[in-house]
Amino acid sequence: MCTPAAGRGRVRLNVGGRVFETTTATLASAGRDTMLGAMLDASWNASHDDAACGGGGSAAAEYFIDRDPACFAVLLDLLRTGGLHVPRGVPEATLYREALYYGLLDRVRAARLGDFDGDRLRLAASVPGCAPGDGTAVRAAPDGGCCVAHGGAVRVYNWMLEERRPVYYPGHAPVNDAAYLDAATLLVAARERPGRLGDDGGVAAFSALTGGLRHRFRVAHDRQPRSFTAGALTFDDGGCSFFASCKGRFNEYGIGVWDANTGEQADFFYEPPGCALGDADRLQWLDGTGTLMVATMFPRTDSSFISLLDFRDKSVVWSWSDVGTPASLEDKHAVHAVVMEDGRSVCVINQYDDLGFLDLRSSAGGVRWRSRSKLATSGKTKALVSEEVCYPKLATYGGQLFASTGDTVSVFSGPDHVLTSTLRGGQGGAICDFSIGGDRLFALHSEENVFDVWETPPPAII
Amino acid sequence: MSGGGPPRKRNFKIEAFKNRVELDPKYAERTWKVLEHAIHEIYNHNASGLSFEELYRSAYNMVLHKYGEKLYDCLQNTMTWRLKEISKSIEAAQGGLFLEELNAKWMDHNKALQMIRDILMYMDRTYVPTSHRTPVHELGLNLWRDHIIHSPMIHSRLVNTLLDLIKGERMGEVINRGLMRSITKMLMDLGPAVYQDDFEKPFLDVSASFYSVESQEFIECCDCGNYLKKAERRLNEEMERVSHYLDAGSEAKITSVVEKEMIANHMHRLVHMENSGLLNMLVDDRYEDLGRMYSLFRRVPDGLSTIRDVMTSYLRETGKQLVTDPESLKDPVEFVQRLLNEKDKHDKIISVAFGNDKTFQNALNSSFEYFINLNNRSPEFISLYVDDKLRKGHKGATEEDVEVILDKVMMLFRYLQEKDVFEKYYKQHLAKRLLSGKTVSDDAERSMIVKLKTECGYQFTSKLEGMFTDMKTSQDTMQDFYAKKSEELGDGPTLDVHILTTGSWPTQPSPPCNLPTEILTVCEKFRAYYLGTHNGRRLTWQTNMGTADIKATFGKGQKHELNVSTYQMCVLMLFNNADGLTYKDIERDTEIPASDLKRCLQSLACVKGKNVLRKEPMSKDISEDDTFYFNDKFTSKLVKVKIGTVVAQKESEPEKQETRQRVEEDRKPQIEAAIVRIMKSRRVLDHNSIVAEVTKQLQARFLPNPVVIKKRIESLIEREFLERDKVDRKLYRYLA
Repeated sequence: MCTPAAGRGRVRLNVGGRVFETTTATLASAGRDTMLGAMLDASWNASHDDAACGGGGSAAAEYFIDRDPACFAVLLDLLRTGGLHVPRGVPEATLYREALYYGLLDRVRAARLGDFDGDRLRLAASVPGCAPGDGTAVRAAPDGGCCVAHGGAVRVYNWMLEERRPVYYPGHAPVNDAAYLDAATLLVAARERPGRLGDDGGVAAFSALTGGLRHRFRVAHDRQPRSFTAGALTFDDGGCSFFASCKGRFNEYGIGVWDANTGEQADFFYEPPGCALGDADRLQWLDGTGTLMVATMFPRTDSSFISLLDFRDKSVVWSWSDVGTPASLEDKHAVHAVVMEDGRSVCVINQYDDLGFLDLRSSAGGVRWRSRSKLATSGKTKALVSEEVCYPKLATYGGQLFASTGDTVSVFSGPDHVLTSTLRGGQGGAICDFSIGGDRLFALHSEENVFDVWETPPPAII
Repeated sequence: MSGGGPPRKRNFKIEAFKNRVELDPKYAERTWKVLEHAIHEIYNHNASGLSFEELYRSAYNMVLHKYGEKLYDCLQNTMTWRLKEISKSIEAAQGGLFLEELNAKWMDHNKALQMIRDILMYMDRTYVPTSHRTPVHELGLNLWRDHIIHSPMIHSRLVNTLLDLIKGERMGEVINRGLMRSITKMLMDLGPAVYQDDFEKPFLDVSASFYSVESQEFIECCDCGNYLKKAERRLNEEMERVSHYLDAGSEAKITSVVEKEMIANHMHRLVHMENSGLLNMLVDDRYEDLGRMYSLFRRVPDGLSTIRDVMTSYLRETGKQLVTDPESLKDPVEFVQRLLNEKDKHDKIISVAFGNDKTFQNALNSSFEYFINLNNRSPEFISLYVDDKLRKGHKGATEEDVEVILDKVMMLFRYLQEKDVFEKYYKQHLAKRLLSGKTVSDDAERSMIVKLKTECGYQFTSKLEGMFTDMKTSQDTMQDFYAKKSEELGDGPTLDVHILTTGSWPTQPSPPCNLPTEILTVCEKFRAYYLGTHNGRRLTWQTNMGTADIKATFGKGQKHELNVSTYQMCVLMLFNNADGLTYKDIERDTEIPASDLKRCLQSLACVKGKNVLRKEPMSKDISEDDTFYFNDKFTSKLVKVKIGTVVAQKESEPEKQETRQRVEEDRKPQIEAAIVRIMKSRRVLDHNSIVAEVTKQLQARFLPNPVVIKKRIESLIEREFLERDKVDRKLYRYLA
């Protein structure tokens, strides 16, 4: 304290015996709604101010905090620099706990996860599962957490990859799909089992924090509530309503629509003849055109079927099927589909990992298969795990196309979909599902229920 | 332990760590006591002795040790207890201090709530979301709402105090707006529903009854203008009130209350108020009142249409009177001037008071269109008006003024349905202006033609433009003629010929009269010259349209220059050789048509001051037995004497009939052409559609009569342009 001016705004903190000196500006950057921000707020320092005014010495402004100094050093560094650097001796779990104490967990998360970039992914963790049987699906939460559906349970992880209380569908009905309405709400679609009376299967909303049941979504046909099996789930662009493929017991097949705010059924698109909707294993909402893509794929059905539905006038505006494909090509089935982000084409993949494209602007065209995007390595890997068949999956994110083939995820970039990265992670065997969200990519392996977490590290400064 | 040796007592045994989970059962109770004490101290403004870190850590530990629920419930109880205490002290506040006390306590509560939330921040982050409880801050507001605002002792007192203050302000008292602002802001902070249910709704109800009573008072004692002023002031006051101390969302609601009570409910009475209603405002051009009425009425449904309806019916009524008033028919120029004045008046009202509202402009236009066409002489009069403006040389008027007048006339022209009639008259009037050299400005004439052209298209003005071309070529031809033939002509009379293209001009074919020999020679020379330069043309002399300047010497030797028509010149020239001539002689020698001759003689012999001839017997009218003598005794102060022909400027009744008939004749081929054009493209069409299409095509020029259209169709069928369909007789077919 050479001059009074330099002394102003300086704060002395004694954390667990170690003294830190910093400025009020640094601490205030944490925000008023954090522990440090509140501690320095005028309302808690009326007496200090009086003393400071009177004596002019800021020596009185020392605060004691009864917490671990090592973690505080990391967090103070975060406040000072905006970057998160965790030294070897500090376990992440402890750091997170301390961050939660100070109310800085959101800042740690923001510093921890860089903006998602498919070509700069780094394997951050491999989380072993303990559920019996195969995982059905992995879904990324908007805040960086995820959930894994298998059998009658959905295991939920927060972004720190700590497991929360699992979600059980009422009656432990087998789960087909799950989707995050927001970071705290999880929708689950479950299968109706034969022989059960009524109330089984369907769609329900759960608290992702506590696993508690929030709401069950009903389907009524001719004003009669009916039980049903829900297949795939998806949201519209505003997150106002969501869709599920539904199979009722009395051949009531189609796509159900619910209002996500009120929980009431908003619409039902009955399956027209020649269309497969109720069995669909993939739904995707197209922002630009206000239509819904419904894909029912091999091997769930004998042939693959993709259509675009317009709910405003209840029409099928586009559809494609490989029913009439010549016999020589018959063994090539499209097994997964995704609408490209420009909304002009659908990308499909077959069981031999060939990528193909369907033009949405014309109804007549067939699949343009691209042989060169096929990966040389994937065939080899597939041979190794041939006993465990995992069909490839597709996803798009940030202008890139992702495809899981065997035990790797391939990243294709640019308008011509050039292979730019391959992600090969833990020892869980073939990847049966993957999901991107909350700046992370989660890949679920078929064996052991291990899932890999891929993150983008913060970019290099220089 | 299979080996020998006795088992040793001092074996390692791992004891269950019993104490670890068994926390001091009093722990939670003790910790809460600390926190509770702190909360009370905060409410007592005694927080300086508290350690934030310690309190935060205590609350953290309670949540960590699963006492979150207890912490939350205790907080709720303590806060409730505190608020009940506070409500007592607010209830005890007397009279005017009530609001002050409420506001002060609210400020305290807010500050305390902030500090409590600081302490319990960890609970807010972890326990509250997972157990679906209300966050601390919101909880504090809800408790304030339930225990203070909704407490039976405070609720009605609060609402009444606020409403009384607002009423006082409406009556002109000065109130503490800052305090009002804080209180309404508090209600908003407690949630829009609290503000709306507990304050806004009663406020609107009270306002409605207040303004209902007040507007009744006003309307009984004020005239329309004053009433509107008061209503406007009230409206502005309410908007100002909202901006000062109510929520912005209330503005639309309270203004709609004022609008309904003060305006909508009394709209018809205001508009039709005797001596001061809308009609009087329109008559007296009270722009300010009209503007106020417009801006107020536009706020209520059907407001503007009410004004518009009254204005339209007023316009139609006055307009109808104007065009059917026999007085105004006497002077066409005055007639059109009054129409223009009417138009100017309402244009100004619409632009000044009604914000150039398109719907009002449309109403104005349709009204004018309605009444102008009530009088079928309107086209003639408008043309005469233009004639007047372009002929008399608009003394002192500049080019711009003329331009403005012409623009206004064009507005009236647009309203005309029978534009072809206008064209007929305009052609006549223009011809007269051109031939008599009375057009003052060529530019003004041309600008009028351009306006007509832009309005009605090339076809409409092509003949008018032809007239101008003729005038120009005539001038050139005459110059050339004199330049080439001057030595040949010598000292003979000067000839100025206008060569008019047949068809472009409204000429009536009339047999040429016998020209005096002096003139005839020059004419023949010109004819020879003209036909020499232009092959294959035919020249016909239109002696009925020319003028002549002749010099005459009278009895006492005084010389006068007489400006006369060609006919008059022919008659006068006869008197060079004879002193007296009978009517029959004159008729024989000149071969002027009888009606023209009579008129010409009348103007020479019967007009006082210009009677260069003397008639025997003396009478007003010319009869065939009269004899005419050269009037030696003629005197005039002027050297130049202009002897006009007795000719009506306005058309006489038979002439009007004739013009009308000519117009009808001219319409026939136009209607036929339209029918053929339509049928050529449509091939088959029913009668009504043809009539509709023809009307649509021709309405830029005139409004064809359906009966006439039918006649034309029949005529076309006769001439085998069309035929009736053999199956459906209503259909017509085009025959190629």
